[in-house]
Amino acid sequence: MADSGATSAPKPSSSVKLVLLGEAAVGKSSLVMRFVNNDFQENKEPTIGAAFLTQKCNLPTRTIKFEIWDTAGQERFASLAPMYYRNAQAALVVYDITKASSLQKAQHWVAELQRQASPGIVIALVGNKFDLASANPASDTSTGGDDADATATAEEEEDVDGESDARKVPTKTAKAYADEEALLFFETSAKTGLNVAEVFTAIANAIPETSLKGPRGVGGQTNLGRQEDSARVNLTGANVQGPKEGCAC
Amino acid sequence: MFNLSNLVQKAQQFIDPTLSITGPSSDRRPSKATLFRHQFRLPETQSPLQEITAELTLSPHHSTRGSSGESTSHAQERDRPQGNHYVGKLHLSEQYLCFSTQGSSFLNTASLSASSAFTGQTHGAGPAGNGFILPLCAIRRVERLHSQSYMFALAITTWNGVSDGKAKPGSAASGQKLTIQLAGSRIQCERFCDGLKRGLREGVREVENLRAVVSECYSEYLLSEDGDDKKSHGNEDRKPREHPDTGLGMVFKYPGNARKLRDATKIRLWREYLRENGRSATLIRQPTFHKLIRVGLPNRLRGEIWELTSGSFFLRLQNPKLYIQTLTKFSGQESLAIDEIEKDLNRSLPEYPGFQSEEGIGRLRRVLTAYSWTNEEVGYCQAMNIVVAALLIYMSESQAFFLLSILCDRLLPGYYSQTMYGTLLDQRVFESLVEKTMPILWDHLAKNDVQLSVVSLPWFLSLYINSMPLIFAFRVLDVFFLEGPKVLFQIGLAILRINGEELLDATDDGTFISVLKSYFARLDESAHPRSENPKLRAVTRFQELMVVAFKEFAGITQNTISEQRSKHKGAVLENIESFAKRTSIRNLGPESKRLSVIDLGFLYDRFYEVLYERQQRDEIMQHEAERKAKAGRMKATEVVSGFSGNNPEVGRVALGPSPTQMDYDGFREFLAGIAKWAVTDSPSSPPELNGDKQNHSYFGGSTRSRSTTISPWGSGPEPADHEFMKRLFRRWDTDMNNTLSLQNVVTGFAQVKGTKDIMSNISYFFELYDDDGDGRVDRDGILRISEALLFLSRRGFEGNLSPSPSLHDLATSPERRENRDEQFLSSISAFIRRCFEYADPDHAANQVRQAAADLASFSIGSDNDSEDLVDLSDPASPKPNPSSPRLLHTKIPLSPTPSTSNPLSPVKAKATAANLALDPNNPLHITLPTFRMVILADEVLETFFESGFSASFRLLDAPQPSHASSSSNLTTFSNAAARNALAPGAGASVGGAGVGVVPPGKGLRGMLDNIVSDGMRVAAEVRRRMDEAQREEGEGEGEKGHVEEEGEEEGRDGELLEGAETADVVVGKGAGVVGDLLGPPGEGKKEGEEGVKGRQRSVSEASKILEFER
Ligand SMILES: Nc1nc2c(ncn2[C@@H]2O[C@H](COP(=O)(O)OP(=O)(O)O)[C@@H](O)[C@H]2O)c(=O)[nH]1
Ligand SMILES: [Mg+2]
Repeated sequence: MADSGATSAPKPSSSVKLVLLGEAAVGKSSLVMRFVNNDFQENKEPTIGAAFLTQKCNLPTRTIKFEIWDTAGQERFASLAPMYYRNAQAALVVYDITKASSLQKAQHWVAELQRQASPGIVIALVGNKFDLASANPASDTSTGGDDADATATAEEEEDVDGESDARKVPTKTAKAYADEEALLFFETSAKTGLNVAEVFTAIANAIPETSLKGPRGVGGQTNLGRQEDSARVNLTGANVQGPKEGCAC
Repeated sequence: MFNLSNLVQKAQQFIDPTLSITGPSSDRRPSKATLFRHQFRLPETQSPLQEITAELTLSPHHSTRGSSGESTSHAQERDRPQGNHYVGKLHLSEQYLCFSTQGSSFLNTASLSASSAFTGQTHGAGPAGNGFILPLCAIRRVERLHSQSYMFALAITTWNGVSDGKAKPGSAASGQKLTIQLAGSRIQCERFCDGLKRGLREGVREVENLRAVVSECYSEYLLSEDGDDKKSHGNEDRKPREHPDTGLGMVFKYPGNARKLRDATKIRLWREYLRENGRSATLIRQPTFHKLIRVGLPNRLRGEIWELTSGSFFLRLQNPKLYIQTLTKFSGQESLAIDEIEKDLNRSLPEYPGFQSEEGIGRLRRVLTAYSWTNEEVGYCQAMNIVVAALLIYMSESQAFFLLSILCDRLLPGYYSQTMYGTLLDQRVFESLVEKTMPILWDHLAKNDVQLSVVSLPWFLSLYINSMPLIFAFRVLDVFFLEGPKVLFQIGLAILRINGEELLDATDDGTFISVLKSYFARLDESAHPRSENPKLRAVTRFQELMVVAFKEFAGITQNTISEQRSKHKGAVLENIESFAKRTSIRNLGPESKRLSVIDLGFLYDRFYEVLYERQQRDEIMQHEAERKAKAGRMKATEVVSGFSGNNPEVGRVALGPSPTQMDYDGFREFLAGIAKWAVTDSPSSPPELNGDKQNHSYFGGSTRSRSTTISPWGSGPEPADHEFMKRLFRRWDTDMNNTLSLQNVVTGFAQVKGTKDIMSNISYFFELYDDDGDGRVDRDGILRISEALLFLSRRGFEGNLSPSPSLHDLATSPERRENRDEQFLSSISAFIRRCFEYADPDHAANQVRQAAADLASFSIGSDNDSEDLVDLSDPASPKPNPSSPRLLHTKIPLSPTPSTSNPLSPVKAKATAANLALDPNNPLHITLPTFRMVILADEVLETFFESGFSASFRLLDAPQPSHASSSSNLTTFSNAAARNALAPGAGASVGGAGVGVVPPGKGLRGMLDNIVSDGMRVAAEVRRRMDEAQREEGEGEGEKGHVEEEGEEEGRDGELLEGAETADVVVGKGAGVVGDLLGPPGEGKKEGEEGVKGRQRSVSEASKILEFER
């Protein structure tokens, strides 16, 4: 576990339980690998149930220690998911921009989380494998979520006839959905690293202070429950962009 | 998509085979047969035929290892001069002779005796007890001994060493001998012996299988190398035995340091044990056996002992070629499971060199694939790759294949299923055990919101293989296969207990996980590194773990697990079901958003309920049919146990995936449950049938059949079969595959119920009848529509046709309702008239004028100028019965060509005029705008399309009067009227399309009913005439729908009757067999005689009961 997040000043530090959900093979494990180890490779570790990893994320005013649950790939493990998202404060719902059905699945997970998970849970919708969409202006790849959206949306218009573009989910579509449900939204590539750190930073920023109490102290979950309203209000994509400070990874 | 609820339902039955099943079978206890099979790890084909108390005596040379290690109790049993003595129960099944000192092991009742509870040891016997499980085919000879103290004593000689026994003339050296004294009444003993005799005769056929299976066992090889064996045979020219396949370890080395594991010593001890106590099929369990397992099995023998203790050996013995056959049968075929397997092959124990090679990966691929074919319900689940990979280090592919079967079916029930309910359940059980045994730790976890199961789930799912270093995980497996699933729990509890202190400091998942991770990494270190005592220092952490697990948690028995499982089962399944339902409902597509979540939930439940129940009924009926076919040659035992051999012993192929598609009949049943118009008027299965079946439920208990479900429609109302329903079905079947998915049904409902827009409802209806989609409905279609309207309205609409339905309305006087029904009827007649009035001729120029003129006066035979078909202005007229229908009857003579001989001349003129509209020579049609106009011109119809139609589907609070007899439904328009309709003899009716014949003398209601049936008859008649005309003129393709329908209806009746007969026959025969078995007067006598003879013979020292020289 990379402990590079050790800071000079004693900033308040807190743990955030984060769960990754999404159809098999959309790149959940790869995103975690990228975030935790800044690496991209075939997943060699067999994951039974869910893999557990941690990574710290330094914000200007505090340090967030993500406790990441990467859920297993196979469809039937979906019925175990409630075990993992229980009391999670954040969720990364991932789809693959080259596979339309994966967005539908993602929408299911969003609905599931909204109804069954902790009320204040911060959800980020993530369209992965951005590198497979053709004609990505490389210069834009390092920008934040919203900027990436803009470029992708522009491309989308000319992609109608397909060419060599593997993209199946237009950015517009997903973005509109994310806005409607007040989700954070990013398009990422675990392969190139595009936007990966940004997703986690945005989540860290979006976690309401009130639900953070030391390293996930006693009563953390009850706090979550009460803060739902204030938490929701803050969650529109634009508001959370805030400080673009990268995570320590 | 998760269409899992049925799976879950079905799965319940398998969640713990020793548990009671929630279901129709009211018996809360597991069947004796199940308990028996579990105790002796026997295949599903075996049932307990005989049972008798007995004492097993092993000849003196067996005693060497048997008693030397023992220090406690049982001394008086063991130390008699003749050898080792064990008192226990001797059991006989079709193919096995089993003996155990332990009453039970897997059994619910299995708990340790009070005296042993604190030590956690069953005196070295383990829960499986001492004894043997002998395939009858492995018995070479049974002799009856003369004995003073016991009435019956048997000396059993086995085929020990059978595979190399070809050249062994009369050698007694490997002929293993054991003596059993039966303790029971003479009759009991004789019956037992008689059964044994029969079984032995049957067993001869299996000897070849035995030879083949045993030759793959390492023990044979081990003992053939044995000096003793060689000496006794003295045949030096025998070619050296081939080393059997003992897994990848042979090639890639076994994990761990063999010297450190003291593998050679272990092998030596085992060789000794096996030489004296039999090998593979003929192995006898004495206390040393359990000890040798607890200290860890030697590498090469590990696979074989796993096979024997888990019982997968017996599966293999039963069908030695199944593995190869399965691979051959499905070679080249593809499946989802195979794709999933492929993805995981490279990440299954990648740290073991064997799985970095094609050889190892190939084996893993083949075993997983073969299993996925034999059990498609499980298919492939992640974690199976790890478990199988581990097995393959120690055993051959075929052995691993059968062991995987045992794991999935018996040891880890439901773990790898589609819903993984078994995994979730056992996690719940584990949590509750932690709560019970370590309350402080439990509180700590709860307080810090650490969810234990996320940590422990992989332990169970992959049998600790992925959590501990391999060598230790295998030691756990050694005990697990011998003692059963409770071992997983004991180990898990012990892990937490040992790490309790540190875990109490952990306040989050991360710390919790890392504490355990570092513990697992140091299992080989000393548990007491700082101890003065060198002996204590030598104890490793793993040894400590075993001691804590089996001593401190000795109280965790299989019984504990079973109890806890049944306690939590309901909640866990409910969670899964509601998750599956939520998931499914969310995935129903955009159309579904037009229905409320509650309605969707209702449709979901109803849809799967129908599918599930239909499947159950099919199975039961099929079962009966098979039973009938088999009755003659069925084994008596099957009847008694209620368990037929068609229960596949491997992989439960029969389970299959649960249905997700609804055919037309299912759709009818589905509709009948939510719309009363969809219930038939003429039920073909009289309710007595159900009652009849009740008598035959003697096998119902075990087949889970409900007597009432044997009717083809279950306990629900029998559905109608109207053309309208066919059309609806076709319309909803958007994938054109002749079945409906839940998605189809929901989308269909969204269209009829989801809109409040009358215009779209009207077009929807119109489209149903616009077969070719050209925007026109022809004459035939118009008549069909009116028929459908009559069909839909024949039971009235409860309060829905008045614009503002109110509760009050429902309860108001029958008169008001009647009024409404009358209105509807007249509206429909007006509808027909108007349709023809405003229809467009197909050939515009042709006869427009004339048709229009004629149509202007067309009023379907009405002989007054009333606009409506039926004049109901005075329904209570003194001469009710014939008068009103007369109006309708006048229509019947309508014929394509005006006939002067028509007897009903008064209406001839009008009829003639009308004929033009009905004349097939003048094709005409209406368009959607016309249809719309006609509908909107009538207030009643307008209301019907606005709300009545969609309201006729009642999704919620829709308790259909399913148990009210359909006949009373038929004759009424409403519930209010139903009360009046109790007249005897009511409901004699025929015809699938709802043509009712109403007995006279029912006054106003009767008359009204007549009108309705007449109205429908009219429409039918009109159509019939047209068909005739078309046929006559040879230009019609013909509308044979009706004829066909009738035909089908009859056909069904016939089948149904046949079905009833079938049931009778089956039961008759079954009962006969039972009788035979319970009191076979003839055979019983014979037995008795033989018994006498036997006893006479027994005067001689040793007389053979049965001897096979093979
Ligand atoms: N091109 C591309 N491939 C990716 C990306 N992320 C993951 N993959 C590939 O997608 C496959 C599935 O990835 P994995 O992380 O195992 O998905 P998971 O099942 O959601 O955990 C792997 O073959 C990855 O190499 C990405 O951003 N771009
Ligand atoms: Mg993954």
